[in-house]
Amino acid sequence: MIEVLALAKRYGDFPAVTDLSFSARPGEVLGLVGPNGAGKTTTLRCLAGIIPATSGTVRIAGHDIATDPVAAKRALAFFPDEPRLFDYLTVRQHLNFVARIYGVADHEVLAQPLLEELEIADKADELPGALSRGMKQKLAIACGLLHSPQVMFFDEPLTGLDPLGIRRMKDSILKRARAGATIVLSSHLLHLLEEVCSHVLILKKGRKIADGSLAEVSAQFSNGEADVSLEEIFIRATGGSEN
Amino acid sequence: MLGALLYLRFTSLKNWLRMRLLRLKQPKYLVGAIVGVAYFWFFFFRRSFAVAGPSREAQQRALHNAGLALQDAGVALPPDLGSVPLAIGAVVLLAIVTLGWVFSLERASLGFTEAEIAFLFPAPVTRSGLVHFRLVDAQLRSLLGALFMTLFSNRWFFVGGSPVMHAFGWWLIFSAINLHLTGLRFTLTRLSDAGFGTWRRRGLVLLIPIAVIAITLALLPAAERWINPGAHDFPVTLSHWFLNLTGSAPLSWLLAPGKFLLGPFFAENWGAFFLSLGPAVLVIGAHYFWVVRSIVSFEDGSIVRAEKRAAVVAAMRSGKRLGRGPTKGRKPPFALTGAGRPEIAFLWKNLLGTWAWLNPRAWAWCALAIVAAATWAKSQPEWRWLLLAYGPVAIIIAGYTLLAGPQLARQDIRSDLVNADLLKTYPLPGWQIVLGQMLAPIAILTGVLWLLLLAAAVAFQPGPHSLDFLSPAMRDFALACLAPASRALLTLCLATLVPPVVALQLFVPNAAALIFPAWFQATRQRGGGGIDIMGQRLIFFFAQLLTMIFALLPAVFAGASTVAMASFFFSLPPIAGVWLGAAAVLAVLLGELWAGLWFLGSRFECIDLSAELRA
Repeated sequence: MIEVLALAKRYGDFPAVTDLSFSARPGEVLGLVGPNGAGKTTTLRCLAGIIPATSGTVRIAGHDIATDPVAAKRALAFFPDEPRLFDYLTVRQHLNFVARIYGVADHEVLAQPLLEELEIADKADELPGALSRGMKQKLAIACGLLHSPQVMFFDEPLTGLDPLGIRRMKDSILKRARAGATIVLSSHLLHLLEEVCSHVLILKKGRKIADGSLAEVSAQFSNGEADVSLEEIFIRATGGSEN
Repeated sequence: MLGALLYLRFTSLKNWLRMRLLRLKQPKYLVGAIVGVAYFWFFFFRRSFAVAGPSREAQQRALHNAGLALQDAGVALPPDLGSVPLAIGAVVLLAIVTLGWVFSLERASLGFTEAEIAFLFPAPVTRSGLVHFRLVDAQLRSLLGALFMTLFSNRWFFVGGSPVMHAFGWWLIFSAINLHLTGLRFTLTRLSDAGFGTWRRRGLVLLIPIAVIAITLALLPAAERWINPGAHDFPVTLSHWFLNLTGSAPLSWLLAPGKFLLGPFFAENWGAFFLSLGPAVLVIGAHYFWVVRSIVSFEDGSIVRAEKRAAVVAAMRSGKRLGRGPTKGRKPPFALTGAGRPEIAFLWKNLLGTWAWLNPRAWAWCALAIVAAATWAKSQPEWRWLLLAYGPVAIIIAGYTLLAGPQLARQDIRSDLVNADLLKTYPLPGWQIVLGQMLAPIAILTGVLWLLLLAAAVAFQPGPHSLDFLSPAMRDFALACLAPASRALLTLCLATLVPPVVALQLFVPNAAALIFPAWFQATRQRGGGGIDIMGQRLIFFFAQLLTMIFALLPAVFAGASTVAMASFFFSLPPIAGVWLGAAAVLAVLLGELWAGLWFLGSRFECIDLSAELRA
C-alpha cells in the first residue's frame, strides 16, 4: 500500500514535484508517465526514500518514509533503470550480501528458486563484469525480490532489454502484482505499460495531470471516442509537448 | 599534416584554457585554483622570481657546503663519486628498456585518441604520415612533461646546470623513451609475425643484461668483485664498487647510450651541455631511424588502445572504478549468514573488493617474517646495524600509513558513492551504513599498523653499550622504557588505540565525500584536472591533517591528565598509569567516533546526490 499526500520536491528554486497526492493498493500496477523532465524519477526516488521530500507525506505499507524509514524500506524494493551492482560480488554473493542487510535468515532456500525463475542460476558464480545487460538487470531484480517486498518501484524497467526480456519482465511484474504486491513503474513505452498497468498517473512539469484506473483516465481524455490508446491519452493530457 | 596537428593542438589548448577559466566562476574551482597557484608559487617559483633572494650560484654554493657537511657526517658522497647519479640514471634507463622488452604484450599501436582515429585513419594520409603525426605530437607532450619535471629536479642538490638545461635534458629523455617504446612495439609485432614466441623473447632479453653483468663481474679483479657489508664506510665503499662495475666493459657499453642521453641533464655548465648534446642527439637520431624503418600495421592496436583509454576516462568521470570490472569471482573472506549485524555485510563486501592475498594468514606470515628478521639481525654482529634502522623506519612508515593510508584504502563510502541510491534503499539508519562501509579500510590499515608496531617493538632492543652516549640518568630511564615488559605494555596500549585512530583518520575523507560530494567528485576526475583540481586536493589534505590534530588533542589531554593523576595523586605504579592513560585516550576517541558516526549517518540520510552534483 502506498499513500502519498501533498508531496513536493524542490531543487533550489526549481520545483521538480509539486503537490502530488495519490494512493496505490495491493495488487495494483500503477504506471507513472509524463514527458521528459516531468518529475517521474524524482517522484520514484522520493517514494523509495532515496532522496528526502521537501514537504508532504509518503507512507509505505503503513510506515511514514520520513519518520520511520527503516520499517518503510523493509517493505519496499527499488529497481533503477540502470542496474547498480557491486563489481567484486558474484551473483550468489550479491544475494548473500542483501540477505544480511534485510535479515533474511533462510536466504539460501529462497535464492535458488529465484535464480532459476530469473534464469540466472547457471551464472551464480559469475561477477557482474561477465554478465550481459539483461543478466545484470535480472540480478538486480533477484536482489530486490529476495526479502519479498510488499511495494516495488521500477524506474524504466524495460530499458535495454531485448523483446524476450521485455516479455519476461512484464510477466514477472504481473506475477508479483497478482501475489499482492503494490507496484509503481515509470516508462516511456506506453503501449507496453498499457499491457501491464491497471492504473496510471500522468505527470507534467512536476504536477499531476490525471490519475486513476486506465478506464477512468481514458474516459477523462477520450472525448467520447472508443478504444483510445494510452499514447493518445498521454498526448491529449500533456498537450503534446514537454512545456 | 604538421599544420593540421599544430592547429588541432593549439586550438584544443586554447579551448581547454577557456573552459578552465570559465569554470572559475564556481567557488569550488576558484578556491582550488587560488590554493594551487599559491602552492606552485611558494614551493617552486618564489625563489626564481625573488628580487632580493640568493642567486643561483649562491644557492649552488650553499648546497655544495651542505654537501660537504653531510660528507663529513658520513652521509653524503665524496666529490670523486659525483658521477654516481649519472650511473644510477643509466642503470634506471637500462631497467626501463629491459622491462619494456620483457613485459610488453601489445601489438604495434600508437596513442591516438578515438577522435583522432575517426578523423585521421580514413583521411588520405600515409601510414608514415600518421606515425610522424604521432611522433611530433609526442614531442609536444614530452615538452610539457619536461617543464613539469624541471620544477622538481631544479631542487635536486646533486644536479648542476640551469633550469633550461634540465628542461632540455628531460625533453631528450622523454623523447628517447617514447621513440624506444614505439620502435619496440613495431619490432615485437614483426618478431611475433615471424613466429618468435613471447617467452623465447623474454628469456633472450633477460639473458642479455644478466650475462653482461656476470661477464663484467668475472673480468673485475677478485678484490673488487664484491663488497663487504660490514665495511666501516659502507655507503662510500658501495658507491666506489658501483662506479667501478658500471664503468667496466662490457656493462659500460650497454649503459653508454643511457649515459649519452643523460649527459645534457647532468651537465654542470653550458660548455659541458653543448659537448654532451651531440651524443644525445645521436641516440635520438638512431631511435628515429629505427622507428621509421620498422613501421608495421598499427591501426588495429591503436583502435583497441584508444577504446581502452576512453573507457578508463569515462569510468573516472562517472566516479566508477578504473577500467573494466573483474570477471572472475573469488572466495569470500569469511562465511556470511543471513542473520547478524548488517555492518558486517559491508565489511564482507568491501573485503571482497580488495586483493585476495589480504587475509589473516598473510598477516600472520608477515608478523612471523618481521620477528624472524629482527631475531636474525640481532644474532649477526655485522648486520646488527640494520636493527638501528629497522625500528625508526617502521615508525616513519607507520606515520605515513596513518596519514596517507586513508587516501589509498578507499573501500568505503567513497568507492560506493556511485551506488548511493541503492544503499539508501536499505532498511538501515545512516550511521550503520557509514560504519559498515568504513570497517574494511579500518581493518586493513589496522593490520598494517599493527605489523609496523610489531616491527618497531622487536627492533628497539638496546645492545649492551648502545646507549652509552647518554648520561647515566637518561640511560637508566631509556633502558627502563626499552625493557621487554615496558615495550610490550606500550605496544599493547598503542595497538589498542590504533583502530579508533584509523577510524578517525578515515572520517575526514568520508565526510568530505558526503558533505562536499561535488568537490569530491571533481577531485576524482582524471583528464579534466588542472591547477584548480590540484588545489582542491591540497585543501582536502590539509583539512585531514587539521582535523586529526583537533581530534587527537582532547584524547592526548585526557590521557596525559590521567597518567599525571595516577602518578601524583594516587601514587599508582607506572604500569597502571599507562593502562589508565590509554583507557582515557580510548574513551575520548570512542566518544569522538560516536559523534562522527552520528553526524555522518545523518548527513548520509539527507544527502541528495542528484541535487549536489548539479553544481
